[in-house]
This record gives sequence, structure tokens and C-alpha cells, in this order.
Amino acid sequence: MLPNRSRTSVLVFLLPPLLLYCAAVLFPILQSLFLSFFSWNGISEMEFVGLANYVRMLTADDIFWRSFFNALLYLAICLVLQLGGALVVASLLTSLRRGRELIKTLYLLPAVISTVAIAFLFIRIYSIDPVGLLNQLLHWVGLGSLERAWLSDVNTVLAAVSAPEGWRFTGLYMLIIYAALIAVPKELEEAAVLDGASKWTLFTKIRFPYIRPVWITTTIMATTYGLRGFDIPYLMTNGGPGQSSELLTTYMYKTAFTSTDFGYASTISVFIVIECLVAVGLILFMLKRKADS
Amino acid sequence: MKKLFRAAAVAAAAALALTACGGGGAATDPSNVSPTGEIKPREISWLLSRPADGAVINIMKKLADDYATDHPGFALNLITTPDRPSYIQKLETLAAANKLPELFDTDATPFAQELAKQGKMVEADKLLKSLDVYDDYRPGALDYQRFDDGSLYMIPFQFELEFIWYNKALFEKAGVSVPKSLDDIPAMCTALRNAGITPIAIDGQDQWPLERYVAYQPFREAGPDFVQKLKKGEASFTDDAGQKTVKWMADLGKAKCFQDGFSAQGYSDAQNQFTSGQAAMYNIGTWELPSLATDKLNSEVRNDTDFFTLPTTEGSVTSANEFVSPSGIGMAVNSKTYDPLVSDFLKFALNKYPAEYAATGALSPTTNVQTAIPGNATPLYKKALETANTLGDKQAMPWDTQLDPTTNGRLQQELVLLVQGNITPEQFTKTMDDAIKQNAPKFFK
Repeated sequence: MLPNRSRTSVLVFLLPPLLLYCAAVLFPILQSLFLSFFSWNGISEMEFVGLANYVRMLTADDIFWRSFFNALLYLAICLVLQLGGALVVASLLTSLRRGRELIKTLYLLPAVISTVAIAFLFIRIYSIDPVGLLNQLLHWVGLGSLERAWLSDVNTVLAAVSAPEGWRFTGLYMLIIYAALIAVPKELEEAAVLDGASKWTLFTKIRFPYIRPVWITTTIMATTYGLRGFDIPYLMTNGGPGQSSELLTTYMYKTAFTSTDFGYASTISVFIVIECLVAVGLILFMLKRKADS
Repeated sequence: MKKLFRAAAVAAAAALALTACGGGGAATDPSNVSPTGEIKPREISWLLSRPADGAVINIMKKLADDYATDHPGFALNLITTPDRPSYIQKLETLAAANKLPELFDTDATPFAQELAKQGKMVEADKLLKSLDVYDDYRPGALDYQRFDDGSLYMIPFQFELEFIWYNKALFEKAGVSVPKSLDDIPAMCTALRNAGITPIAIDGQDQWPLERYVAYQPFREAGPDFVQKLKKGEASFTDDAGQKTVKWMADLGKAKCFQDGFSAQGYSDAQNQFTSGQAAMYNIGTWELPSLATDKLNSEVRNDTDFFTLPTTEGSVTSANEFVSPSGIGMAVNSKTYDPLVSDFLKFALNKYPAEYAATGALSPTTNVQTAIPGNATPLYKKALETANTLGDKQAMPWDTQLDPTTNGRLQQELVLLVQGNITPEQFTKTMDDAIKQNAPKFFK
């Protein structure tokens, strides 16, 4: 128990950031929750509709469900690229003797390029007419039959817009995981090697359990970023063709700012908040259970 | 501690109350176009969606400077967002916050009509009449800005004609000629494709260019009323005109009329395909005359370039001289901030604008000035301008300014799928009719 005076000083120091957090994060969420019970186009009178927006969202809106499943697939692709890619690259980096800094910088580079530039870059890469980099490469290696307009094909567009987002942040997560990996005590690893542990055993029994807390944090970060993914799909395809690359976020944005249906858009945003909370809860639950076992 | 919480609670309540007050503010009478009182110069703003270095902005800047020399303290603050979706978002957000500036751009959309209904915009026909310039305007330029009930709230600054530009050499190579009917186009595309030529270059990314095509058949088959009925649910895609356009769009797709991967290609991609001689046709308006009908056009295609206007069809109810002739996004005048100064400035600017605008080589929305043909123009420039003199009374309205925004968004998405062959004409018809049924009642009460 802190003495009285120091408790006051703790409060004094904590209150400003707490108030800022309330104003910047909690207030908008609560306002969305409030708006989600109304039908409002921004300029007319607000009309209370109760749960009608939620009923419509969950039962009568085909685009909502389509974008929900698209968002899950988008998340999966981003996570595999970001976390999987980051883990592989970070592990390889630790065994590298020279050039670590160069490779780290190169991998981190996409994270500092502006989103718009990345989107335009990838539009060019995926292009078929004029032939872009990807189709050209496929042609050179003899896979010409796979050449296609990646962003216009309803079967490939979702993967095509997910990849740049995944690629972009691989370097960032790689840095975090790499920092954790080099903090694994050398004597532990050496002891294991002396006991005859293979590289794989070393990784699964020593290294990974050691970096688990960092892994949990990066997973949560990558998941929440992935669920909020918006800019690259919006810029590259605007959700199209049709709804093939529509995510919940782009759909919410269009509902609010194109259809001026602020009430319904708030309903979707409430769903996104809940979805993020559930995802984080699930990750914590799964990883904790694994750690306990 | 308790005191601190109480203070915080009071502050929060006060903040809420203050924001609530900000939302109010009564609008003044939108039909009062000649406010009385003293002209007090101040800075006024125009929120607009036009190219940053385009003629409209340059001229209005100059006119504002001229006006400011006689009225020290006056300034016109031009805030432009050329990207239309971003602009609309900005406009709608400002409208929701009741913070619209003195002047703002909008098409005659259902949202704008809602603003007009609430008395937030000055009645433009009365305003133009009071400034004694109403009769100078081309009727078509004003009609484009009107709502369905004929009321006018926006002032046009442009007048454009949309043509289908084509490459004569590529047509010859494929053995096709200028289509006599819209229904000839799919077969033309097949012939062009067989000759290894991209038939039509289209900017798929911005979506409105493809939406133009869906408007063509109904305009010929049933006239300009079709879309006005369709958007309210009084007509449907199952009607003859609707089915004709759905089938035609699917046929265009089957004949591979548009370049491969068109849905991800932008405005300049499409134009480059045409001006580099890869694509045979390109549907665009007279705002591109400086790049298509002057020596700026690639010399390899310059002599082969020509245009034709929207073909008719058999039994067409509209004539060949009636097609898409928009007067661009219009300018609305905020009734809340309309005062002697705004009125006086508009009087000054609208009287001088047409002559300045015509001098840049563009078509003025008025008929009292002669457009100057630039020195580097090709003969096509003159031909294009002269087409404006023989226009008919009816005009094909772009559907993106007509439909409610939700249906419009859905139509743009489904059209791509229809043309790419991802959905059948039947699926398209059903999806769109359902979308209209669900969304139209909210906007067209």
C-alpha cells in the first residue's frame, strides 16, 4: 500500500493520459455504440430504430457477411506472411555472421514507405496490360499459363491485396522477434546442444518457449492491425471487382461516407470492435492454455 | 479526490453541451436572393472538387483578386479536393456538422436534394435571374444541374460533350467502320480483338466510366425518364429497356470490348492506351480536348484520331444529336452565410467568368461568348466545339448522379462482375432490383 501522498501523485500523473485515452478511444467507441441504434444520414433528424440495424446486419445483409469472411481470409494471409515470415527471417538472422544490419534495414524498408506508394507499386506489379513484374516473372520461368490480371480476377484479388500488407510489416515484426531471440541466454542453448539437441528441438524447446511473451504481443498486434486493415485494399481495388476484396472496414467506410448511413456504419464499427476484442481474447486463451500444458 | 472527479464530470458535461449547441444554427430564407445591407468585405470559402490548376480555379482566383482591389479585405479561399469520393466524404461530413462554407460544389444527387429541402442552399434560378444572367445559360447546362422536380440549386461552370474517340487506322486494320447502332458494338469488338487490337480503353478504377455504358441503351430505348423512374423503383431492370442494357453490357463483356484487367486500371492508363495507338476506342468528354485535339497528342495517332457521338438504335426515342452533355459538378450557395458580400461577388464573378473561360478554349455554360480555338489545335477541336451548336433537347444523365448512393455503389460493383462474366444477366437483374427496392425509399420519400 502506497502512502497517501504518493497515491495522489500517482493519480496526478496517471489522470492526464487516462483522460486522453477516454477522449480519444473510449468516447468514439461509446458514440458509435450510441449511433448504432439510430437511422441517421448526417443531415436529417436522427431516428431511433432500436436493434433494427443489428438485425439487418446479421440477417439481411449479404455484403456484410461476404466482407466478414473476406476480412478473416485477409487476416490469415497477413498473419502467415507477417508472423511466419518474421520468425523465419529472424531465426535465419541469428545464425548469420555478417551483414545482419543491412538485411534488417532492407526488411524494415517497406514499413517506412507510405501506404499510397505501396498500393500504386503493387498495382503496377500485378498489372497485365501493360505487363507487370509478376506476370513477366511467371512468363520467364515458363508459367505463362498462370498470367492473369491479378486484381481483376475475383479468385485472386483478395490474396493479391493481402500480400502487400503482409509484406509491408514483415520487417517490423522480424525486428521485434529478432530482439527477443538474441536475448535467449547462450548458456541454455549451449547446454542443450551439449545434450545432443537438434536445431529443431533447440528451437521448439528452448528458443520458442523463451520468446513466447514477445510472440503473444506480436500476434495480438498483428491480429488487431490485420482486422483493421483498410488502406491498401481501399486504394488498390476499392473492394472490387464486385465485393471480392471488400473488407468490413472498407464496407463500413463506404456505408458511412458514400451511402451516408451513419447509423448502420456505426453498427458495423461496433461489430469490428467486438471482433477485435474476441480475437485478442482467443489468442490469450489459446497461448495461455498451451503455456500451462 | 472526490472534488477532482466532480470537476471532471462537470467539464465533460459542459463539453457535451457545447458540442450540442454547435449543431444548431437556423438557415435563412433560401429564396431571398437579394439580401439588403452593407457590403462588408471578408474572406469567403469555396469548397470544390475541380483540378487544382484547371481553368475554373485559375479564372476564379483571378476574378477574386480583381474584386479584392475594389473591396479591400475580401479574399476567396479555394479548397479543392479533385478526387471525387474523398470530396463527397468531406462535403457530407461538413454538412453533418453544419459547417458548410459560403460556396460548395455538388452534383444534383439525392443528398444535395436533401440539403435543398432543408433550405441550406440558395435557389439558383432566382439568383441567376436576379443577377440578370439566367438567359445567357445554355438550357442544357442548367437542366443538367436540376433536380427531378425541375428546381435548380447549382450553378454550372462548364459545358462538356462526351464522344467516343476512335482510331481510324485501327478500325481499317480490323475492317470495321463507325457503328450505326449501339447494337453493332459487340460485333465490332470481336473483329477488333481478332485483329489483335484492344477495342475500348476504359478507366475501370474510377467506376463512373463503365457506368456511362449502362445508361446508353435505356436512353435510346426509353429516353431520359427511364433512370428517373428506375431510381425510385417505378421502373425496373426487368423492363424492356433494363433487360436490353443488361444483355448489352454482358455482350460487351463476352466480346472482350474492354482491355484485360480494366477494373484495376486508372484514368491515365486508359488514356495512354488510346493515345499510344493500342486501343481503338475511348469514351471521354471535351474536357480532354487539349490532349486529344491539339499537337500534344502523340503524332503517330494524331491524323488517325476522330470521334463519333453516341450511336442510336433501331426505334430509338432519342435522336443522334442527344447524348451525354454534362455541365460538370455545380456550385451551390450556402443560404446560411449568404449576405450582400457573397451576392455582390457572385454578380461580379458570374458576369465576367464566361468570357474568361471561353478564352481558354473551353465551352462556356453560357451562349453569350465564343470559344477561342487554341493555336496548336487539330481540326477536330473545331468539329468538337461545333457539335455543341446542334445539340437536341434531351440529354443522357450519368447514372451516378441519379441513383441513391448505396444503389449506385452496388451497381458499379455488379457491373464489373457482369462485364467480366462473373455473374449472369439474371443474377445482375435480381441483385440490382433488390438493391433499389431496399435503398430507394430512404432517399426518395
